[in-house]
Amino acid sequence: MNQSDVKHIAGSAAPQGVGASVERKEDRRLMSGRGQFVGDLRLAGMWDVAFVRSPVAHGVLKGVEKPAGQEAAVFTMDDMPGVRPIRAVSGLPGFKPSEQWPLARGKVRQVGELVAACIAPTRALAEDIAQAVYADIEELPAVVDMVGARTAPPALVHDEWGDNIFLESLVDGDLSSIADAPIKVRRHIRTARQCMSPLEGRGVVCQWDSRLEQLTMWSSAQMVHINRQGLSECLGLDSGQIRVIAPDVGGGFGYKGILLPEEIVLAYLCMKLGRPLRWIEDRREQLIANANCREHDYDITVYANRDGRLLGIDCEATVDSGAYSSYPFSACLEAAQVGSILPGPYKMERYRCKTWSVASNKAPILPYRGVARTGVCFALELMVDAIAREAGMEPIDVRLANVVRPEEMPYDNITKKHFDSGDYPRVLRMARDAVGLREVRARQKAGEADGRRIGVGFAVYCEQAAHGTSVYFGWGIPMVPGHEQCRARLNADGVLELSIGAHSHGQGMETTMAQVAHQILGIDVARVRLSHGDTGQSPYSTGTWGSRSMVMSGGAVAAACKEMARRVKQIAAKMAGCDTGALKLAGGMVFEGDVPRMSLAEIAHVWHRAPQLLPADIDPAGLEVIAGYKAARDTGTFSYACHAVVVAVDTELGAVEILDYAIAEDGGTLVNPMVVDGQIIGGTAQGIGTALYEEMPFDENGQPLASTLADYMLPGAPEVPAIRIDHIETPSPYTEFGQKGIGEGGAIAPPAAIANAINDALRDMGVEVTESPVTPRRLLAAIAAARKGVAA
Amino acid sequence: MKTLNLTVNGQAVSAAVEPRTHLADFLREHEGLTGTHLGCEHGVCGACTVEIDGAPARSCIQFAVRCEGATVRTIEGFEDDAVMRQLRAAFSAEHALQCGYCTPGMLVTARDIVMRLPHLTGAHDEARIRVELAGNLCRCTGYQGIVRAIQRVLRQRAGIDAA
Repeated sequence: MNQSDVKHIAGSAAPQGVGASVERKEDRRLMSGRGQFVGDLRLAGMWDVAFVRSPVAHGVLKGVEKPAGQEAAVFTMDDMPGVRPIRAVSGLPGFKPSEQWPLARGKVRQVGELVAACIAPTRALAEDIAQAVYADIEELPAVVDMVGARTAPPALVHDEWGDNIFLESLVDGDLSSIADAPIKVRRHIRTARQCMSPLEGRGVVCQWDSRLEQLTMWSSAQMVHINRQGLSECLGLDSGQIRVIAPDVGGGFGYKGILLPEEIVLAYLCMKLGRPLRWIEDRREQLIANANCREHDYDITVYANRDGRLLGIDCEATVDSGAYSSYPFSACLEAAQVGSILPGPYKMERYRCKTWSVASNKAPILPYRGVARTGVCFALELMVDAIAREAGMEPIDVRLANVVRPEEMPYDNITKKHFDSGDYPRVLRMARDAVGLREVRARQKAGEADGRRIGVGFAVYCEQAAHGTSVYFGWGIPMVPGHEQCRARLNADGVLELSIGAHSHGQGMETTMAQVAHQILGIDVARVRLSHGDTGQSPYSTGTWGSRSMVMSGGAVAAACKEMARRVKQIAAKMAGCDTGALKLAGGMVFEGDVPRMSLAEIAHVWHRAPQLLPADIDPAGLEVIAGYKAARDTGTFSYACHAVVVAVDTELGAVEILDYAIAEDGGTLVNPMVVDGQIIGGTAQGIGTALYEEMPFDENGQPLASTLADYMLPGAPEVPAIRIDHIETPSPYTEFGQKGIGEGGAIAPPAAIANAINDALRDMGVEVTESPVTPRRLLAAIAAARKGVAA
Repeated sequence: MKTLNLTVNGQAVSAAVEPRTHLADFLREHEGLTGTHLGCEHGVCGACTVEIDGAPARSCIQFAVRCEGATVRTIEGFEDDAVMRQLRAAFSAEHALQCGYCTPGMLVTARDIVMRLPHLTGAHDEARIRVELAGNLCRCTGYQGIVRAIQRVLRQRAGIDAA
């Protein structure tokens, strides 16, 4: 290859490294119907599983009658001797563990709890059998209201506890010095129970390999190594007997970051019967049995000066954790975090927060994009607007008066959260100007021709992401993240194979991890292949959660590629007879000074296929690397944003239309800005669902009342506006490229910003909504209450 | 079991199916065409959208046996289609997919919008395009990339923007 060819290769390509909006490598297969999701797998002899689920929320399971002639196709917990219950124990003092049997034993504690598994050659036939199974259940009173569950329990979810409280926690503080603050506002704020709803539900396929004595499980999962660990514990298998693979996964958002009872049942039956089995969750199962999240209740008081300066917060927060502690995040994932993150991005002198993780007869609460932050942001940011109204100030100015300032960075807040970097006032001003606050105020004064009322709302948050060992070990849950690792291999043809234990299910990591490799090695992203989410191939990882992948897996890929670069240069230096210090990598070539000497493929060819050319003292580790990464400080990156929204409210219909939506955001260094914007916009659309549409109501018997997507409302294209994003990039001082985790942020602020906008629109009517989602029913009730002169 | 004869992606197909089997299950389980995805199986999410006799339809609420004599085209049947080629390029350029689960159904609907409403080329037509997309849910993208991709192809095909 001559020099002009090299220049062509190195010079003609569009930028591919950190900061480039590279189109995604994964798109082609997904757009052609060639993606491979778990429901697309076909194994010879595979049968389907349909589950019998509890029709009641709480009851004593007295027996299961199998249909005559079908006994061999129906399995209960008694048919699975030796299988242990799921136990996700937190080490926090006072935590009460629950035992979740994969198939119910003794009691059922939620509608949809697994009672029996039925197998047949097709799902339809398996459902026929399931329909003929009779579960003899003596119904008990259901625990439905989370505050009542702890103050006046109608029943005990777990009889041996004596109450319904998984965990009570307290961040204590003395508020006596601010008791007489000029502004003191108290509110009762609630967020509804929601169902996180990736378009693909869960699904499990498994197969027993009698030669390897190994179970292979394909699961629509975010954290395959954690699933393997949990399966090993519950099934009593050694870890080497289990391989978990996440194929293409149709969205996760936290819903697929747990160990499933269905996985345990399928694994056991697959081994017992020697037959591949499949279970694909349908939408009804997802809604009524599995996908609960977000239900919070706040009794919150804020104290401030007349100039809007926040003095302190006093809060009692209750989270409805549902029937069981799910694995690995446990039942106190949300409530225990509320106490530490409620202060948000604000400075204050005094703080106290008491929280309860309450057990109820509902599906276990699971992590959903934003985990706890969405509820916390809703509570806190509604209170900031309440302070603004009391102080007679613009809400954005109250925020400007209280956020941490750039010259104070890095900053340890009142709950010892370590803000790594940033300019919070700047994003507030950017968001304010993006929606044109002054123009909105003028428009409000002028009034609308159609009689609707205009309002503007803001919400600011910070998103602790990629937090590691020092944050998690204190929780004592079954998973503590340590170093993240990547395996890298440079093949003889110059293709770079990377393997990580995290999983990409929309985040575009097959592209962005290749961009990281390009940044270090100069290799074309088209020559990089990423394997992800396969315990058989990858180093251990806690997986994809907590907006951590670009920081942690990206850092690990960079570490592996740096080591690969060292080894490539070592071989190249020997071949070229020069010093490694004189070599650099670019455009897939090794350069000596400005002179291209050989390609990565030529070097790899020597290692793999012409080792006779290598000197005797070559590093025997060769071109296969496992390298690990941990951020320089593992308390997390803090990305942050301000959302600004303008709404029009129809006070007759209770309808809310979003007229404008702008976001000012700081995610540090952006590896692929197109992908980052996609995450923010997608998260915001989910947040709009939380704000206005999505709710899983329950009746007094604990029956979930939405069982289809016709009554569980997800926002469609007409409900989501075009969203404008402005970025600033303050690099994190602690991460490889300065990147910060941003995957969840979009979903945090919309309920707060939208409710604030609605309250702004209806301010002179005395209307204040304090509960999400703000459905027409709730909004009309708040308007009616204001007209009667009582609080909503 | 009933015998069913229809055309799938240009191929004549004859199969014995249960009357209760819906078209999506028939396509996925009998024909191996797993590009057609199931999101809700009650006709709301649109992931299973295919073409039946040239028009988009939700295959999860259509019994297979009702498709006797019909011509069905799934996402796998658009490999030689010029409009779909444009849409795929635009979807990638506008980041109109993340997890990709809704994408096959979304592309079939998008192609129908482009073919049926070629005049929606103005910025003010965005609201109409969003209404046309109301039968296809996406949980990842917030729809913005999808809307822009469709707008891009509409403008390319109208000769307003270069392809």
